[in-house]
Amino acid sequence: MKTVSLFVPCIVDLFLPDIGEAMARLLKRLGLSLVYHDAQTCCGQPAFHGGRNPEAVKLAKRFIEIFENDETIVCPSGSCVVMVKKHYPELLADDPAWLKRAQAVAERIFELSEFIVDIMGIADVGASFSGKVAYHESCQLSRELGVVEQPKTLIRAVNGTELVPLNGAAVCCGFGGHFSVTYADISEALVKEKAVHYIASKADLLVISEPGCFLNINGYLSRNHPEHKAMHIAEFLAGKQN
Amino acid sequence: MEIKTRQFKAVARQELNNPNSRIFLDLLPVVLSSLRQLAMASFPDPEAAQRLGGIIRAEALSRLPELLEQFEKNALKAGAKVFWAGDAHAANAYILELARNNQVDFVTKGKSMVTEEMGINEVLEKNGIEVYETDLGEFIAQLLKRPPFHIVGPAANVPPPEIRDIFIEKGIMENPTVDPRELGYAARLYLRDRFSRMKMGITGINFAVAETGTIINVENEGNIRFNKSSPKIQVSVMTLEKVIPNLKDAMHMLRLVSRNCTGQHIGAYASMDTGPRKKDEMDGPDELHIIILDNGRTRLYQNVKTRQALQCIRCGGCLNICPVFGIIGGFPYGWVYSGPMGQLLTPLLLGLSGCHDHIWACTGCGACKANCPAGIDHPRVLHYLREMEVQGEKSLDAVPPPFTEDMAYKAFSVIASNPTLWKLTSKIIRTVLNRNAQDGKLSKGPGPLETWLAGRDFPQMGDKTFHERWKEIENNPPKAVLEN
Amino acid sequence: MEGTRDAILRQLRMARSMEVPKRIQLPPPYEAAMTREEWIEKFAAKLGEQTGVFYRTADTTGVLEILSNLVRQEGLKNVIASEDGLITALNLKLWGADQGVSVSFPHDFKDRKDYQDTVFNHADAGMTAADFAVAESGTLAIIHDKSNARLLSLAPALHIAVVEAKNVVPVYESVMESVFLNGQSPSQLCFITGPSMTADIQGQMFKGMHGPRKLIVIMVG
Repeated sequence: MKTVSLFVPCIVDLFLPDIGEAMARLLKRLGLSLVYHDAQTCCGQPAFHGGRNPEAVKLAKRFIEIFENDETIVCPSGSCVVMVKKHYPELLADDPAWLKRAQAVAERIFELSEFIVDIMGIADVGASFSGKVAYHESCQLSRELGVVEQPKTLIRAVNGTELVPLNGAAVCCGFGGHFSVTYADISEALVKEKAVHYIASKADLLVISEPGCFLNINGYLSRNHPEHKAMHIAEFLAGKQN
Repeated sequence: MEIKTRQFKAVARQELNNPNSRIFLDLLPVVLSSLRQLAMASFPDPEAAQRLGGIIRAEALSRLPELLEQFEKNALKAGAKVFWAGDAHAANAYILELARNNQVDFVTKGKSMVTEEMGINEVLEKNGIEVYETDLGEFIAQLLKRPPFHIVGPAANVPPPEIRDIFIEKGIMENPTVDPRELGYAARLYLRDRFSRMKMGITGINFAVAETGTIINVENEGNIRFNKSSPKIQVSVMTLEKVIPNLKDAMHMLRLVSRNCTGQHIGAYASMDTGPRKKDEMDGPDELHIIILDNGRTRLYQNVKTRQALQCIRCGGCLNICPVFGIIGGFPYGWVYSGPMGQLLTPLLLGLSGCHDHIWACTGCGACKANCPAGIDHPRVLHYLREMEVQGEKSLDAVPPPFTEDMAYKAFSVIASNPTLWKLTSKIIRTVLNRNAQDGKLSKGPGPLETWLAGRDFPQMGDKTFHERWKEIENNPPKAVLEN
Repeated sequence: MEGTRDAILRQLRMARSMEVPKRIQLPPPYEAAMTREEWIEKFAAKLGEQTGVFYRTADTTGVLEILSNLVRQEGLKNVIASEDGLITALNLKLWGADQGVSVSFPHDFKDRKDYQDTVFNHADAGMTAADFAVAESGTLAIIHDKSNARLLSLAPALHIAVVEAKNVVPVYESVMESVFLNGQSPSQLCFITGPSMTADIQGQMFKGMHGPRKLIVIMVG
C-alpha cells in the first residue's frame, strides 16, 4: 500500500479541521496509508506574502526537514503547495545545499485533486451528491499550478452531481491573506461579486479547493445568504460527516 | 500632476460607493476580457504569441543602451532632433523654450502617460500657453480638472449630463444633449478648429524602433495623427524603455498592444514617423523633436529585481483584469499609472514612502502576470517591494513598518517553529476567539479580525485542532460511500 | 562636463546584465497558407467589421463608375485627391467637370494655409491611393509622401482609398519589408483600419471622432 504524508495547512489545522479530516478519510478510502507529522505547523506563506523573508526562510527550512523523507506529500491547499513548490526554491536560491533539498521536496508535493487525478489516475472517488454544483477556481491553484480541470473532473464523476458553469469562476474571491483584513472593504466587495455569481448559477452548492477562499466565501455567505452553502472539495468528495 | 498616492484607502472607499464608476467597472471584465480573448485567438498559438512579447521586451531592455544609441543615430539621420532629458523639469523646460521661440500660444496634445508624468500642461499653462488635450476622454478629464480614470478610457466614468454641462459652460457646445455621439461631435468641431491653426503638437510614443529611428503611435480617434500632420513643430516624448530593436518586433508588439488594450486587432491608426516631413511634402511637421526622458528609469534599471517593470507597454490590459482595479477604478492610485502596472511604476518612480498601499493592495491572484503581453511578473516585483519596505531600504525610499509589526511576525515564526508552543497558542486563540462566538461562528468582535467581521462571519474554533484529532482519525477505518 | 545623454548611457551600461530568455519561433500566421484571392476576401471581411465599405473593379473606368455613384450617394461636391500615380491616372479633374464635382490636389494651393483651409473646411471627401492592403486585419498602409499628403486621409469626413489588388499582402511584416528598403524610410507610414472611432463616453463606440466617419476602399484588378 502506498503511503502519503499529509500536509495540513495552519488555517485548516486551527480553524477548519474538518477539511483535514475529510482529506484523510478520502485518501484512506482510496486505499492509501497515511502519515501525519505532528511537528508540522505553518509553511510560512503569511510571512512570505508579508515581505518577511527571514521568517519565511526559517519556516521553509523547518518544513523541508520535516517532510523531506516522504515520498509523496498531499495538501488540500493550492497556495500552500505553491509556497513549497515555487517560493521555497526562490527563497533558498542563494544556498545551494538548501536549494537542492527544497527542489527535492518541491517535486514530491501535490495538491489534493491534482494528486488524485494526475498521480492516482482516479476520477470517480465513489462519492455521491444529488444536485447542481458550481466550482470556484482558486487563483494560486489554477494560475500557478495549472490545476483547473482536475477538480472539475472529480466533481463531474460524483454520482448525482451536475457541474454547472459559474460566471467569473476564475476571478479572485478577494481573500488574499492579510489583504482580506487590511483592505477589508475591497475584499468584501469582491467576495460579494463571487456570491452574486454563485447565486445566479442556480447551483445547490459551491465547491472550493482552497481553504482561504473557503473561509472568505463561506464567511460571506454565512452572514448574508445563509441558505446558500459552500464546501471544500475534500469534504465534498469524502462526504461530510455530521 | 498632483500626487495623491497617500490617499489610496480614502479614495478607494469613496469609489466603492460611486455609482458612476461602477457602471464602467462592472462592464470591464465582461466586455474587455472576452474581446481580448477573441482577438488573441487570431494567433495560431496565442500563448506563444504572448510569450514572445515578453521575450522581445526583456531583450530590448537588456540591450537598452545600445538600442537607444542606435535609435538616436537613425532618428538624427532622418532629420529629427533628439533631446535627452534627465528629468521632467528638463523636458518641460525644453518644450517651453521651443514654444516661446516659435511664438506658440497654444499646443494640442495626443493622449500620453509620460506627459502626464512630466506635468507639462501645468508648466505651459503657467507660462501663458494654452494646452488642449485632444483625445476625447482626456479632453473631458482636462475640462473637469480630473485625473484619468483609466489609461484607455480616461473619462469613462463621467456620466453624459456632466459632460453636457461642462461643454456648455466652456462654450464647446450650444444645444444641450446627452447623446455620446453628439457630444463627441461637438468636441470634434471644437478641436478641429485648433488642429487647423496649431503650430505645435505634442504626443507620446508607443514604440521607438532602433533599426530605423522610427516612432510609432497607435490610436483610434485620429487626434494623434492630427498632431503629427498639421503643425509646424511636432514634439514626441518617450521614456528610455520605449525603444525596441526592429520593425518586425514592433509589428508583433503592435498586435499585442491593441489586443490587450481594447481587444482590437489593431487600433484604427498606427502612424510611424521617421524624421520630419521631406521637402515637397504638403504636410507633416517641419521639425520633429524627440525627447528621450529618463525621470528615474536609469535608477530603476540598476536594480535587476525591479528592472522588469520597464518592460511595460502601457496597454492597460492588467487594469482590465485586476480584481482590485475592477472594484476601485483608477483614482485611488493617485498618480498617472493605475492598476497593477501603477502598483509597480508608482512606488519605483516616486519612492516607496508615499506608496505603501500600492504594494499591499493586492490579493496576489496573478491575473495581471497571466495576461501581461510584456512578460512582467507583477506579483514577484510586488513581493520584492514588500520585502524592501519591511527592511526600510533607503535606496527605494522605504519607511519600515512599526516595530510592533516586526514583533508580531517574529513571534509568529518562533511559535510556528515549535510544535509545543504551536499547540499551546492554539489553545489560547481558541479561548480568545470563542469568547465572542455564537451559533458556531463569530459575527463581531475586536482584534485583528474586526474589519473582516464587519461583513463576514468567521468559524468558531472547534474543540480540537487537526493536530488534536489526528489520533482518532488515524485509527478510524475508512468508510464506504458517503452521502452528503 | 558629462552631458545628460552620456550620463544616462553610462549608467545603463554600468548596470548588471541579465539573462535574456531565448527567442521562440511562432507558428506561421493563418494568412501564410492563403491564396491572394483569400487575402482579398479576408481584407474585405475585416474592413467590413470596422464599417469600411469595399468595392472591387477591373480597371480605371470601373473606378470612375464607382466614384460617380458615390457622388450621388454621398452628395459629394468637393473632393481633394492625392497626387499618387494611381489617382492622377484617373484624370479626376475631367471626371469632376462632368459630374459637377470640384476636384483639387494639394499642390494646386499656393501655400500650406490654403491647402489646410480646403482639406479641413471644404472637402467632402479625401481621396488617396493606398500602397498596400493588409489581409490580417483589413488594414490599409499608406506612405505619406509628396504625392500622398497626410491630411487627405484624415481631415475630410469621408476617405476614399484606391488600392491595387496586386498590392494585397498577408501581414504587416510584408509591408515593412517592402517599404523600409536599403535604409530608406518614408517620413510617415500609416496603417488605417476603418474610420476614426472612440468609445470614451460611457464605453459607447461610434465612428468619426476626429477623423473620417466613413472609409471606402476601391480595389482595382
